[in-house]
Amino acid sequence: MNLSSLAFSPVAEQFLAEPEWLLEADGLSVVGGPAEAPSAVLSDLSFRLAAGRTLGLVGESGAGKSMIGRVLARQLPAGFRVGGGQLRFAGEDLLSLPAERHRQSLGSRIAFIPQEPMGALNPVLTIGRQLIEHLQRLGTPAAACRERAIELLEQVCLPRPATLLGHYPFELSGGMCQRVMIAMAFAGRPQLVVSDEATTALDVSSQAHIVRLLRELQEQYATAVLFVTHDMGLATHACDDVLVLYAGQIMESGPAKSLFRRTLHPYTRALREAIPALEGPLLPLRALAGQMPGVESFAQIKGCRFAGRCEQATQVCHDGVAPLESVGPQHQVRCWNLAAASERQAQPEATAHEPGRAMSAQQSLVAKGLSKTWPGRRQGFRRAPGVAALKPLDLSIAPGEFIGIVGESGSGKSTLARLIMGLERQSTGVISLNGEMLGDSRDDWTRRIASIQMIFQDATAALNPRWRIGRLLTQSMLSQPRLHSERQARAAELAADVGLAASTLKRYPSQLSGGQRQRVNIGRSLCDTPQILVADEIVSGLDVSVQAQVMNLLLELRRQHKISLLLISHDLGVVRYLCSRVLVLHQGELVEQGETERVLAHPQHPYTRALIAAVPSLDPDAQWPPAAFPQMDVTP
Amino acid sequence: MSATVQPLAIASGALIRAASLSWLALRQALWRIPMLLVITLVTFLILRGVPIDPVNMLMPPNASAQEIAELSHQLGLDRPVLVQYLMWLRGALSGDFGISIQTGQPVLPMVLQALPMTLQILFFGLLSGLAMGLGSGMLAFRARGSVLEPAIMSINGVMMAIPDYLWAIALIVTLGVGLQWLPFIGPIDPGLQVPNITGFLLLDCLLQGDLVAFGSALAHLFLPSLTLGLCIATPIARVLHSSLIEVYQEDYLQAARLRGLDENTLLVRHALRNAALPTISLIGVQASVVIGGTLLIETIFGLPGIGALMIRALGSFDLQTIQLLALTYAITVQLVNMLSDFTLRTLNPRLRIAP
Repeated sequence: MNLSSLAFSPVAEQFLAEPEWLLEADGLSVVGGPAEAPSAVLSDLSFRLAAGRTLGLVGESGAGKSMIGRVLARQLPAGFRVGGGQLRFAGEDLLSLPAERHRQSLGSRIAFIPQEPMGALNPVLTIGRQLIEHLQRLGTPAAACRERAIELLEQVCLPRPATLLGHYPFELSGGMCQRVMIAMAFAGRPQLVVSDEATTALDVSSQAHIVRLLRELQEQYATAVLFVTHDMGLATHACDDVLVLYAGQIMESGPAKSLFRRTLHPYTRALREAIPALEGPLLPLRALAGQMPGVESFAQIKGCRFAGRCEQATQVCHDGVAPLESVGPQHQVRCWNLAAASERQAQPEATAHEPGRAMSAQQSLVAKGLSKTWPGRRQGFRRAPGVAALKPLDLSIAPGEFIGIVGESGSGKSTLARLIMGLERQSTGVISLNGEMLGDSRDDWTRRIASIQMIFQDATAALNPRWRIGRLLTQSMLSQPRLHSERQARAAELAADVGLAASTLKRYPSQLSGGQRQRVNIGRSLCDTPQILVADEIVSGLDVSVQAQVMNLLLELRRQHKISLLLISHDLGVVRYLCSRVLVLHQGELVEQGETERVLAHPQHPYTRALIAAVPSLDPDAQWPPAAFPQMDVTP
Repeated sequence: MSATVQPLAIASGALIRAASLSWLALRQALWRIPMLLVITLVTFLILRGVPIDPVNMLMPPNASAQEIAELSHQLGLDRPVLVQYLMWLRGALSGDFGISIQTGQPVLPMVLQALPMTLQILFFGLLSGLAMGLGSGMLAFRARGSVLEPAIMSINGVMMAIPDYLWAIALIVTLGVGLQWLPFIGPIDPGLQVPNITGFLLLDCLLQGDLVAFGSALAHLFLPSLTLGLCIATPIARVLHSSLIEVYQEDYLQAARLRGLDENTLLVRHALRNAALPTISLIGVQASVVIGGTLLIETIFGLPGIGALMIRALGSFDLQTIQLLALTYAITVQLVNMLSDFTLRTLNPRLRIAP
C-alpha cells in the first residue's frame, strides 16, 4: 500500500497522527552575548521532523536558520550556547549526549551537505581518498571501500566514477562537487541530512538536479532532511513542511504548499512580495523597508521582532511577543494582527510595472563581432587550440535601456561584461561609444571610464575597508583637481541618491549592512555620472527584501539620470523585473535575444527553455523540479 | 564501463600525471642553468673589481716588477676581465676550475673534499629544524586556547631573535663546556682514524663497520646540526602555527569534522598537508640564509667543510677558490629550492598544471 495515497484519507490521518518523530525540538533557544544580558539568536523554537520528510527553514540572513544545524553539529560560533529547551534525535537527548557518542553519530546518523561544495572538499586530496576515508570511518572493510565508493558515485549519477576517484576537487565543477558531497552524506544511510543552502552556489539547472537527487535518495533510505534555504520558491517545492524564521523566532510554520498558497504573517508575505516573479503580470515590488535587527539588539526588543519593519504594527506588537496560533491544519502563525493581515491580502495591486526601456532611438554603445578566445594550454612545444570564452556577438545599448545577460557559470556572461568595461581585451570585434571607436589609447580609456562604470558583485570585497564611505563614494574624483568641499558635497549628493543617511558618510564599510554596502558600491559608480553601468550579479548576494530595495533604486536612478544598465544575472526574475531586453548565453554563444517578456513567455531555443524550467516557481501548484530535463551539470 | 577497463584508465592517468610532473621539473631545472651562469659572472666581476692584487700576495715582497708581470701573464690576469671570465668558463666546463693561489693545488678536489662535511651538517640541520619546527608549531596549535600556546609562541619569538653564531656559542657553553655532554670541536675524536671512502664521514664509519667512530662522528655533528636546526625551526613553527589557524577556518575542515572525524585525524590528514604548503615555500626562500649559516657554524665548531674553506680563502684572497665556492653555494641553494618546489608540487595538485 502506498503511504502518500493513504495520507489523504481521514482514517489514515488518525493513524499518522502520532508518528515516530525523528527530530524533535522543544522550546530550544540559543543565546549569545554577556551572561548578565544574553540575547537569544534562536528563541523558543519547537518543531518536529519525521523520518522521510523534509523540513524547510526559510528566512533572510541573520534569521538564525543555520543555527539549528550548528546546534545539531555542536558547532555554535564562539560566544553562543544553548540557552534552554530540548532537542531529541531518535529518542535520545542530543544536547546531553556524551561528546564521543555525539561525534560518532556525525557522518553516520546525521550527515551534512555544505553550502560551498568546492570549498568543502580538501583541495590537496583526491575525491577517492576523501570518499574512502569516510567509508573507512563508517566501518566499511578496506577491501570493499573502492567498490563501494564507485557505487556511491554512480548513485549520484556522476559519469565515469572510477576515473573520478583519481581526480582532485578543483578539476570538477561545482555541481559535480556537490554530488560528491551528497554521495558522502548518504554513504552511511543517515537518518537525518542537514542541507544548509546546498544549492545556493550552483546554477539553476544544477540546483534542479541536486534537489531531485536529494529527493530520490531521501525516498530510498527514508531519510529526514532539514533543508535550510533563503529561496522561497525552492522551499515551496523542495520541502514538505516549512518554518519561516525572522530574527531567531518562528513567524509562521506549516505544510509548505498550503503555507505558501495562503501566507498569513506580514513577514512571509513581504518576503513573497519582494521576489520578482517569472510569470503573471509584472507588478512593482513592495520592498520591505529597513533591515533585520542585529543579534546584539535582540535583548532590547520586548515585542515582536518584526514590528519595526511591519506595516501593520500596532502598539500591542511592540509590547509583547505574540504566541504561535494555529490557523489551519498544522499551520501556525505568530502575529497579533492576524485579522488585519488577512484583510490586506484581498487588496489587489494597482499599477503595472515597467522595466528599463530605451529612452532614445540613438545607441550610446555599439559592439560588433565582439569575441574572446583564451590561448590554449602549452603541451610541450605546441599549444592546444584556444578556448572560446565568448563567440562573436553584436550588442547595442541605448540611453535608459536595461539589458539583461543570462546564462550559467562558464557561459561567458562575465567575460562580456569585462570586455565592455575594457578590463579584458577582445580577441575580435570593435566597440564604439557615442559613435566613436574605442581603442587602446590613454584618451580612449579616460573616455571609456567616464561613460562606463562597473559595479562589482561582492560589495564587501570591492570597497577598501580602511576608507570611509564619503571617500569611497567620490573615489573617482581623487585623480581630478577638485576641492575638498566639492568632494564632500558630491559625496552627500550621492549618498542621498542611493538612499543612504548622511551619517553613513563618516563610517567604514564594515559598519554597514550588506545592502548598504551594495548601495555604496552603486553610488560610487555614479560619481562621474556615467551613461552605462555594467553590473555583474550585484543583487545575487543580497536578501530578497534588500534585493527589491536595490532593484527599485536602480530603476529610480534610471528615471533621474537616464543611465543604461548591462545586468549580468543568473536570476531570471531579477532580469524580468529590471530589463526590457535579454541576451541568453550558452557556452560562450548567444543563443537567444529579444524583449524580455517575449523571450520568457515564448522561449525559442531549447537551452532557454531548460533555463526557465529550472527556476523553482513561486506557484505552489507548479511541477518542480521538471520531470524531463537534460543533464547539464555533469560535463566537466 | 566494464570493471577491467577502470584500473587501466586510472593507471594511464597516473602515468600521464607523473610524466607531466617530471617534464615540469626538468624544465625548471633547465631554467636554473642561465641563473647559475649569471651568478658566476657577477662573482667574477666583483672579485676582479676588489682593489687587491692576488699576484702581490703570491710573490715575495722583494719581487721585481718584471717577475710580477710575468706571473700575471701566466695567470692571465693581464687580459680584459671579460676575456678572463670566458677563459675561466671554458676551463670550468671541462672541469678545470683553476689552481688555488694558497696551496698551488687544483681547486676542485679541495672543494669536493670539504663539501660532504657541509652537506652532512645541512642535512641534519634541516632534519632537526623540520622536526623541531613542525613539532612545536603543531604543539602550540593543538594547545590553542590554553596557556601553553602563548607560552610556546613567546619562547619562539625570543628564539627567533637569536642569531646562529650566538646559538653556537650558547650551546657550546652549556651542553659542551658546562655539562660536558657533547663534544664541540672537530668532526670526530682526534684519536680515531677513518679512511676516506665516500667523503661522508658518517657513511665511511658505517662502511668500515666502526661503530665507535660512527658514534663519535654523530656526537660531533650533534651541536652544529642543532644550531642550524634551531635557526630553521623558529620561523617554521611560527608559519606552521599561523597557517594551521588559517586552514582551520576553511570549509573543508568543517565538513570533515561534520563527517565525524576526530581532531587528531583532522589535524594530521586534512590540515597538516594544506598548512605545510606555506611552510615549505618558506624553507625554499630561506635556503640561502640556511646554507650561508653553515659558514659560521663550521668555523665555530672547527669542522673542515666548505664554509671553513671559504673563510680561509677569503683571508688569503684565493680568487679561484672563492669563485668555485660561490658557485657551489649557488648550486646548493638552487638544489634546495628545486627540492622545495618539487615537494610543493607533490603536496599541492593545483601547482601541477603546466602554465
